[in-house]
Amino acid sequence: MNTDELIKALAQDLKPVRRHALGRRMCLGLVLGSLASLFLIGRMLGFRPDLWIAMQGATFWMKWTYTISLAACATAATAKLARPDSGSLAWLWILAIPVAGLGIISINELAHTPPGDWLKMWLGASWRVCSSLVFLLSVPIFAGLLWAFRRMAPTRLRAAGATAGLTAGAWSATLYCLHCPEVSAIFVLTWYSLGIAFAAMLGALLGPRLLRW
Amino acid sequence: MQANEDQLRSWMVRGLGGDAAAHAQLLRALLPLLRGFYRRRMTGQEDVIEDLVQETLIAVHEKRMTYDPVRPLSAWLHAIARYKMVDSFRRGGRTCGFDEMEGAIFADDRADENDARTDIDRLLATIPEKQARVIRSTRIEGLSTAEAAIRHSIGESDVKVSVHRGLKALATRVKDSMK
Repeated sequence: MNTDELIKALAQDLKPVRRHALGRRMCLGLVLGSLASLFLIGRMLGFRPDLWIAMQGATFWMKWTYTISLAACATAATAKLARPDSGSLAWLWILAIPVAGLGIISINELAHTPPGDWLKMWLGASWRVCSSLVFLLSVPIFAGLLWAFRRMAPTRLRAAGATAGLTAGAWSATLYCLHCPEVSAIFVLTWYSLGIAFAAMLGALLGPRLLRW
Repeated sequence: MQANEDQLRSWMVRGLGGDAAAHAQLLRALLPLLRGFYRRRMTGQEDVIEDLVQETLIAVHEKRMTYDPVRPLSAWLHAIARYKMVDSFRRGGRTCGFDEMEGAIFADDRADENDARTDIDRLLATIPEKQARVIRSTRIEGLSTAEAAIRHSIGESDVKVSVHRGLKALATRVKDSMK
């Protein structure tokens, strides 16, 4: 095709781009994916029966503060990497703050628990399934992000895949809190983080293949 | 792509607002910039370059949502153009990062050039020295017959005859070596 004709064809029927269109599209992908995960939780796992009561206690909010702060950072990084000129990601080190924070709470908890109960506290009742569920529930969210990325222009595909996976994992963990009744910080720090990390790794693995344009 | 940053950006912003004429103007203005960008980086492949230019224009159009009007347009364009170039290399069967890629490209170019030079040296060594010298001057360095005559202090007709005989001899050598 002749280049001049190409330009004419491209400029024809030009649709205006709304302000913050990139952010809107990312949010839409996230929300749609999260709704799917929420539906899966409702159908397959069930919400914790004491959710309302739990939401008035500190433990629930400790868990949410952890997962939501990870999710917020990861989402911001993903939105940044959706642009071709993504700039520096050095600020992502702030992810260390929630991790370190939860680590301190964990140590504090352990210090107030007799060593004989440490293992029980660490493994809880659901350590075998927690990470896998967080990981599995991240898949619909990751799919939502992939959909959003079809109109994006990432140039660092592995990094973009990794942060998209991290975003999906952290939001999935946030939703999983609605089901999971575990209360110890060390449990969340270990098993939630493991599931989130798996999601990020899968994203990094698939990024170069799935995010090409 | 530094030139006209403000002009390009205003077209881009108007295009984002739905102004088709401004959008077309932007794409047309990008043509020479993109051609220059790719020519500086991958010489001697005009059809590949034109394909890349078109692909980049399409990307600029389809991915215009990712441009943030408060940031420089040139950086955004550069990133897209670079990505498209690396992607075209990758489709060519290579799989490595951009930096290694750049190294590989230039290394390859130099290797080819060196190979070609060695071949020429080897061939020229097989014909009489005077013929080799005038061929070097006229065919490789690009001197005219008159200039070559002056440099080697021989007559112009001598240059012509020597070049002619030398090339004929070289052609036979090459033919023989390919049998």
